[in-house]
Amino acid sequence: MPETKTKMMSRRKFLQMSGALAAATAVADPCRVLYALTKVAGENDPARIKEVFSACDMCFNKCGLIAQVENNVIRKLDPNPKSLKSRGMLCARGNAGVKQLYDPDRLKYPLLRKGARGEGKWMRLTWDQALDHAAEQLDRIGKEYTRCGFLFMAGTDMQSTFVHQFAEAYGSYNVISHESNCLLSRNRAFLDTYGVMPTPDVLNCKYVIMPGANRFEAIVTPDSMDLMSAKAKKSKLVVLDPRFTKTAAFADEWYPIKPGTDMAFFLAIAHVIIAEELYDKTFVKEMTSGFEELREHVKQYTPQWAQVETDIPARDIKRIARELAAAAPSAMVYPGRRSSDYEDSTQIRRSYAIVNALLGNWDREGGLLVPKKVKPGSMHIEAPFYEDNPDDRVDAGRAQMMFDEEGSFKHTRDAVIEGKPYPIKGWMTYKTNPMQTGANRDKTIEMIHKLDFMMTVDIAMSDTAWMADLVLPAPSYLERQDPLSAFLASSTCSGVITRDPVVPAMFESKPVFWIVKELAKRLDLGEFFDFTVDDFRKAQLKKIPEVAKALKEDGVYNVSGPSFGLHKGKPFKTRSKKIELYNTRYRDKGIDPMPVYNKPKVIPKNYFRIVVGRNAYITQSASTNNSLLWELEKENKLWIHPKPAANLNINDNETIIVKSSAGKVTIKARVTKETRPDTVYMDTGYGVLSKGLTNIFGKGACIAEVLEDKADKISGNMAMHETLVTVSKA
Amino acid sequence: MVKRLSILAIVMAFLVVSIGVTMAGEGGNARKGKYLFRKTCRSCHMADGSAKELSPVSKTQADWQVVFDDISKLQCKDEWAALSEKDTKDIYSYLYGHAFDSPSPAKCK
Repeated sequence: MPETKTKMMSRRKFLQMSGALAAATAVADPCRVLYALTKVAGENDPARIKEVFSACDMCFNKCGLIAQVENNVIRKLDPNPKSLKSRGMLCARGNAGVKQLYDPDRLKYPLLRKGARGEGKWMRLTWDQALDHAAEQLDRIGKEYTRCGFLFMAGTDMQSTFVHQFAEAYGSYNVISHESNCLLSRNRAFLDTYGVMPTPDVLNCKYVIMPGANRFEAIVTPDSMDLMSAKAKKSKLVVLDPRFTKTAAFADEWYPIKPGTDMAFFLAIAHVIIAEELYDKTFVKEMTSGFEELREHVKQYTPQWAQVETDIPARDIKRIARELAAAAPSAMVYPGRRSSDYEDSTQIRRSYAIVNALLGNWDREGGLLVPKKVKPGSMHIEAPFYEDNPDDRVDAGRAQMMFDEEGSFKHTRDAVIEGKPYPIKGWMTYKTNPMQTGANRDKTIEMIHKLDFMMTVDIAMSDTAWMADLVLPAPSYLERQDPLSAFLASSTCSGVITRDPVVPAMFESKPVFWIVKELAKRLDLGEFFDFTVDDFRKAQLKKIPEVAKALKEDGVYNVSGPSFGLHKGKPFKTRSKKIELYNTRYRDKGIDPMPVYNKPKVIPKNYFRIVVGRNAYITQSASTNNSLLWELEKENKLWIHPKPAANLNINDNETIIVKSSAGKVTIKARVTKETRPDTVYMDTGYGVLSKGLTNIFGKGACIAEVLEDKADKISGNMAMHETLVTVSKA
Repeated sequence: MVKRLSILAIVMAFLVVSIGVTMAGEGGNARKGKYLFRKTCRSCHMADGSAKELSPVSKTQADWQVVFDDISKLQCKDEWAALSEKDTKDIYSYLYGHAFDSPSPAKCK
């Protein structure tokens, strides 16, 4: 190390480096991480700093950013003011992205498992050795169990499209996404009501009811910022949540609703709006189908009835219904994002969609929008067809209306464990961590033990990577070239973003595009990847050359113009070509055509319902080990109300045991009034098995270990709020 | 005589096709249909192709049903006549099953 650099190091930096060195030498050459952590003479001299556009990847939002780069080292990440979707902002997690890049815990070269699965014994391989081994396994499993005997799972990422393309060329249609652990039932509900998943115009909305969603912590751009701006314009926010979240703290009204009863609340809202004729009559007549059936259906769901179910006073339900209707069409039930909660989560979201339809907020300012979206071109591949493949996905038929191209992690996992209807013996995961995000971790482990071969491509040694046989290191989002990605952005309309390497890729990391291309070559499938990411982008940009110019000059392409009033006179993409208050397809399939309320199970004495959620500084399990963010939360704790805590003789910060039928964890208690007495909560992303995550290993508990794996009946989405737990002193 | 036989053959082919698709809702393999659609249809029905760009989401299920109720009305009826009943049924299953208003609309690829 040059003398000048050593002299400029502070004691703190030295300690940071020493820690980094100790952690990194165990696995690889840490030089470039250390270099990045070192102060350089003349640091932050504007003349030496280059600004490079990129898109954040600390969560799924892809906010525009500008990296401050000095001598191939990123010093800082700033927001891109031209990024309208992110309102020119970058959150704390976005700022911490630099620590994802310069993380001593990063995977550095290909690793092959040497000990038992999950034992953590690895052997370093060259890329050629690793790829040859993976190709051999893909080939063998394909021949022995058909191509569908190999499962693919890619997370939300701009390169996931290449994993899907590889699966298609290889011949497996067993492809699942992270989404069946997240939002599929919400999408199912809105698609089956509106024919499309609209985006909410929170910015111009005068009255927002937010059931469950925690938009000030579980950040969605632009909604999180827009909600704050709307608040400044005196819009009203009503939050229903068993927890006192930051969103609840900012709300005009917070109701700690009894978990699992949101549908009762919205059916009662519909009851009042219809009974008092507060709905948009012209809209309902022209744009919806099944209103008369709905009118009859909701007669039974009175506010008095809903009070008993929800713990929300009937007078408030009535008042909120009237206020909501008075503010319409700039009023909404916020559709939310993650909906992996109950076994009837699609029907719960149908009740949100139906109330929105009564308000007539479709395609109107402050309502639910479908803005004009840029449609980049694509590169088609003529994938071969393998005649010996089974007729359908391995999880087919396990849910009433599963999305064919998304599948269900829960049902696929069950099928792999059962070996029915056919065996799956291989699994490739890319940038997704079902060991932490899929309820019932023991079952995920059981599934993995059924496999002959599992490979994981990721940035760090996640718990999923920890269980794999072959682990391949990927570059972070700041080191790779990605295809274009088009996005919707509510009232700001939509746009396109992309990424080029801000700094060269560190260690031996290789993008998943390169990995699947190399695998394809080895499997005689090279013709399907006979292109570069540049070629792919050219195909995407062919008909939209203006996008290339904007990306170069501004780092983002924004579609301007109004985002409402775009669909007047156009039919809805539903069977009836209208908004389906009554869904005939559901009826034909034996599904309730309108949401029918079923009481959640009664919580027995000494039991609690455990719920899943987020805070603003972690993205599930992807960022808990990030050293900057970890300073904000070193371990998760179980939120428990003081009343039951006192009954159980549990003190704040005391170590406790949380137990369900799925598993048992040890964790510290956070005794707080910020949750209902019958509901407990813990953050996701702790209690890891992987010793490759040095900050969080041994800290807190894994919520996936105690969550039971129920599923939404219609979509197959995981249902994670159905679990009841006991809590006791350790 | 040869001319008559050819006409008869064409008529028979149309009959086979129309019988095939009438029954198409049952038992077609949509995955095979996707492959066949790409192989046989997309060479023309693509961006900058010789026919209108098509994918399952170009039409509703009801619209696809109308198309497949009488394939002989299509401009490319001769190409359809060359396909087997099973192949036709598979393509129908793919297009109908992933239509614009279907429960699982095809994603753009």
